[in-house]
Amino acid sequence: MQREGFAEVEEAVRGVLRDVLGLSAERAAAFHEDTPLFGALPELDSLAVAGVLTEIEDRLGILIEDDEVDGEMLESFGALTRFAADKALG
Amino acid sequence: MIDHYDWAGGREAMLRFGPATGPVVVAALPLFEEANRTRAFIVTILRALAERGIAGALPDLPGQGESLLQTHAATLAGLRAGFTAACTRFDTAYAFAVRSGALLDTRAEVAGRCHLVPTTGAELARELGRLRGLHDGNNYAGNLLSPTLLAELEQAVPAAARTIRFEGDARAADLKLRGAPLWRRAEPDNDPALATLLADDIGAWVRACEA
Repeated sequence: MQREGFAEVEEAVRGVLRDVLGLSAERAAAFHEDTPLFGALPELDSLAVAGVLTEIEDRLGILIEDDEVDGEMLESFGALTRFAADKALG
Repeated sequence: MIDHYDWAGGREAMLRFGPATGPVVVAALPLFEEANRTRAFIVTILRALAERGIAGALPDLPGQGESLLQTHAATLAGLRAGFTAACTRFDTAYAFAVRSGALLDTRAEVAGRCHLVPTTGAELARELGRLRGLHDGNNYAGNLLSPTLLAELEQAVPAAARTIRFEGDARAADLKLRGAPLWRRAEPDNDPALATLLADDIGAWVRACEA
């Protein structure tokens, strides 16, 4: 059972990846829990990571500390969404 | 056409669009990397305004673009002085600023200000800190910035302005449009449809202020 609001967070994260990385709507819509991100998406370099994190902060009204950013949270679409949901939904 | 303006620290280039008379919309690019990602978009808006009979100008501010002042020597006070000087070239100027460009029109004597998704200096400083962290603490996505500028940013906030934001943004705005943040894009891009909407809105706003 997913937490209430999880689907909205997932759509926000999907929208951020689409807008920041310039992905087509079809490509972003196909992202699922296990879709690998950092190291697998050529568009997602370290500069783009900064843009993705800052835009997620803006859209969800959360703050992400730099020491919370690691390879694990960026490993997959599911991992990034869970990280954002933990912040946004508590 | 490529024009220029003079300020206390020298002479800078300024792109001009549209008629030679009437009010002029003077645009302020965001600072640093976001300027590269939004220049084509802002030029598209100014060209669309020119098609609607309203003049536009895009000054290179001291330390930006073709300016001879090095980026690491730029200060907020200098950037603001440059924007102010560019506006004094015109009898009637309106400021149109995008993102952290909204921090630059503060001192200019303008008939009105319009800000697209404005950011505070503290928000920008935080983003710059994150970029520096990604580059081993040596630079800000390739830029060296002066400690003076970074200190000035911590206190800087936009002046009161007509504010446009995107749908889904919870912050207050006079107008909300559907759009995506081009300034975050990893590769610079343009959005001609959004530029047309903005030119329609800014054009109507200027005409209403002038009426």
